Amino acid sequence: MPKSSRKEPLLDLYIFETRQMLEELEQKMLQFEQTSELESSIHEIFRIMHTIKSSSALMKIKNIANLAHSSEDLFSFLREVNPRDFDGSGLADLVLNIVDFMKTEIIKIDNQQKPDGDCNELIRQIEKSLAGLQQSNPEFTARKKKAADSIKYDFFFTEPGKAAASPKKNRFRAVVFFEKDCQMENTRAFGTLLELKEVAEIVHYYPDDIIDNKENELLIRNSGFHITFRSDLSFKKIKKFFGHIPLIEKLQLQQLKKEEPDQAFPGVNFAYHPGEPEQAATIESLEPRVHPEPGKDQLIPVEAGKKNVTASSRQIIINVNVAKLDLLLDLIGELVIAEALVTHNSDLDGLSLDNFDKAARQLRKITNEIQDVVMSIRMLPLTIIFRKMNRLVRDMGHTLGKEIRLETRGEETEVDKNIIEHISDPLIHLIRNAIDHGIEPVSERIAKGKPEYGTISLEAKEAGGDVRITVKDDGAGLDKQKILQLAKQQRLLTKPEHELTDREIFSFILLPGFSTKETVTEYSGRGVGMDVVKDNIEKIRGNIFIDSVPNEGTAITIRVPLTLAIITGMTISVGYSRYTVPIDAIVESLKVSGDDVITGQNGKEAVVIRGKQYPLIRLHRLYNVKTEITEINDGIVMMVQNESKRSCLFADGILGEQQVVIKPLPIYIDNIKGIGGCALLGDGAISLVLDIEELLSK
Amino acid sequence: MLKSVLIVDDAAFMRMMLKNLIEKNGYQVVGEAGNGAEAIEKYQELRPELITMDVTMPELDGIRAIQEIKKINSRVKIIVISAMGREEVVREALLAGASSFIIKPFDEKKVVTTIERILS
Repeated sequence: MPKSSRKEPLLDLYIFETRQMLEELEQKMLQFEQTSELESSIHEIFRIMHTIKSSSALMKIKNIANLAHSSEDLFSFLREVNPRDFDGSGLADLVLNIVDFMKTEIIKIDNQQKPDGDCNELIRQIEKSLAGLQQSNPEFTARKKKAADSIKYDFFFTEPGKAAASPKKNRFRAVVFFEKDCQMENTRAFGTLLELKEVAEIVHYYPDDIIDNKENELLIRNSGFHITFRSDLSFKKIKKFFGHIPLIEKLQLQQLKKEEPDQAFPGVNFAYHPGEPEQAATIESLEPRVHPEPGKDQLIPVEAGKKNVTASSRQIIINVNVAKLDLLLDLIGELVIAEALVTHNSDLDGLSLDNFDKAARQLRKITNEIQDVVMSIRMLPLTIIFRKMNRLVRDMGHTLGKEIRLETRGEETEVDKNIIEHISDPLIHLIRNAIDHGIEPVSERIAKGKPEYGTISLEAKEAGGDVRITVKDDGAGLDKQKILQLAKQQRLLTKPEHELTDREIFSFILLPGFSTKETVTEYSGRGVGMDVVKDNIEKIRGNIFIDSVPNEGTAITIRVPLTLAIITGMTISVGYSRYTVPIDAIVESLKVSGDDVITGQNGKEAVVIRGKQYPLIRLHRLYNVKTEITEINDGIVMMVQNESKRSCLFADGILGEQQVVIKPLPIYIDNIKGIGGCALLGDGAISLVLDIEELLSK
Repeated sequence: MLKSVLIVDDAAFMRMMLKNLIEKNGYQVVGEAGNGAEAIEKYQELRPELITMDVTMPELDGIRAIQEIKKINSRVKIIVISAMGREEVVREALLAGASSFIIKPFDEKKVVTTIERILS
C-alpha cells in the first residue's frame, strides 16, 4: 500500500505502475514456461523492460534502470532474431529473478528506504545469456550488419553535378553546433538534414557517415556538423529556419558569394576545411529563447492550471488513496444513520407531513444510491490474488519435483478490498497444502494411472451475497479413517461417531494442533495449520467446508461475504434490547403456540414446526435480558440457518428490516458468544448484531 | 491563447512527468493517450498544435501513429520521445514526419527549448 503521508504523486505513480508491469511480466514468463511460446508476448516484454528502464532512470533509481537496460538488450535480441532453440526454462528463471529483484527494490522505495540491492550478478547472468544466444546465432549478427549497409540514407544528396545545375540560386555553408549533452548527435544531424531538405538542396555534409559511425558523434560535438546547400530562401530566412530546430546552440552560417555578389560577406572561404571552422565567417549565435514575452509569463501558469481542469476531466481512471475510501465508507455509514434519525425522528410522530415524507423518500433513495456506489468503488477483482498463485505453484512444483498445472476460473469476481486482504494468506496456505500433501509424487501418480502432472483448480463464483472460492486438487484425497482415529485420540469428537457426516469428519483438520502429515516440508506442515486458515476466514464472517474423495482429490471451499462493512438485517427486540439478524441467515419468522414447544431429557427446548424439531434459543434467557414477554405465543419465533443447521430464536417482536453498518464491539466488552458486532440504528439505539454461525455452533 | 499539446505515452508515470513539465512552462496539455491508436483518435478530436510521441507502445506504435496523424494533417508538429541509443527508431520517426526528438531520461530545459523552437 502506498504510504498515505507521502506527498509525491509522481513517485507513487512510479511505484504503482512499475509494480503492475512487473506483475504482468511475471505472468508472461509463467505463460511462456507453460507454452514455450515467446513470440506473441516478446514485444510486450520488451516494452515493459523499456518502460521500466526509462521511468527508473528518470526517478534516478540506478540499479533498476541498469538491470532493465540490460534485460532490454536481451529481449531486443530475442525479438529480432527469434531463435528456434534456446534454454527456455533458464530464461524464465533468469527473468523471474530479475522481477523478484525489482519487486524487492520497489518495496524498499515504497518504505522510503534506499533501493540499494546489488544487481551486478543478474546483469552478468543476462550478459552471459545474451553472449550465448549471439554465439549460437552467428548468422544474425552478420545479417544485421548487412541490412544496415544496404540502407543508404542517400536521399539527402543531390548529386554534385545536379546540384551545380540546380535552379536554386543561393549557396550556403553552415556549421551547426548542438547543445552540450544533447546526445545522439548523429541522429540530430540526420534530423537537421531532413528538415533542411524541405527548403534546400543539400550539396555536401561532413561528417558524412551519421548512420553507423558512432565516433562521428564526438566529431560533431567538438567541431560541429558541416553542411553546404543551395536554397531559394534568403540568408535571413535560412537563419530563421535554423532557429526553429531544437537544441542547436550555435550556428555559423555563410552565404557563399558567386551568383549573388551583392550579398557578399567578408572573409568568405570556398575551401572546405572540416573540423576547422572559418574564423572570419558570420557567426550567428542562437541562444535558447526561453520566454520571448516575459511580461506574459506571470499569467500563464495560473491560466494553465485553470484549463487543466477541463483537460484532466478527460482522464477515465484515477488513483485514490485507500485511506480516503475507508473514510468515505465510514461517513456514508454515518449519513445513512443521520438520514434515519431525521426522517424517523420521534418529534414527527403523529404529524401528517405529506411533503416532508416525499422529500424524505427522495433523500433515502439518494442515500442508498451513494452507499451502493461507494461500495462498488471498493470492489476489486480477485485477479490480483489468483495471479500470485501461478508463481507459487510454479516455484513449489520445481522445489518438490512435481509437475503441476493451475487452472483458474472466475478471477474477475469482485469482492470488497478488505476481504481481499484477508483471503490472500489462507488461499496461499490451501494451495501449498494441495501441492505438498494433496498431489502425489509422479511415480505414485503413474502407478495409479493418473496423468503425470497434477492439476489444481482455483475457482471463484458469486452466490447470493457471498463469494465461494474453491481450491481443488486431483491428488490422493483425505484419509477419512485416519482423521477420525486422530480426532478420537485427541478427544475432539462432539457426538457419536456414526452421526458424523463426511464434511464434519474432514472439518477436524481445521482444529488447532491437528495435522495428518508427520514430516515437515519447506512449504507446509510447520505447525501453522489449517486452524489459522479457519480463524482468518471466520474473522471476516466466512466459513470453510471440505469435500474429498480417496484418489480423486480434495476440494476446499471458502465462503466469504462480498463485503464486510454493511449488512442487511432484520432487527428484533427483546425487552429494551435490540438485536440484528443478518437477513441471509433467516429462513422464516412465525408465531408458535406453547403446545409446539417440547422439552428434552437434557432440559433443552425444541420447537416442532411442520412435524420437524428445531432447537429453541430464547434470547432473553441466553443474554439474561429482562422482558415482559416470556410466553412463546406472545412473542415471535425466527428460524435461522447456518449451512445445514437450523434453529429457532425467540424474541419479543420484529422491528423491521434495515441496512446497518457493522462496527466491532468495544474492546472492553469481552467476547460474547453469538455477537458479531454492534450497529447504530436509525432511531439512535444500539443493536447487537448476531453471529448466527457462532450461535448455532453451541 | 496557450499552445495546445497532446501527450502520448503508454506509461502514466511518463505522461504525468511530461504534463507537469509542459504545463509549468506555459503550454496547455489538452489530452493524453496511452497508445498509438488512441493518439490518432485524440488527435482528431482535440487537434493540438504539438504532440509528444513515445515510440514503444502497445496496440499501435509511435511510428505508425506519426504516419497516420501526418496523413490527417501534414503540418502538425510531433516530437518523438525515445530512450537513449535507439538511433534507428528515431531516424524512422523523423522520416515518418517527426520534427525532433527528446531523449529519455530527459532534461527539463532541453524539453522546454525543444518545444519552444518547434512551436516558434
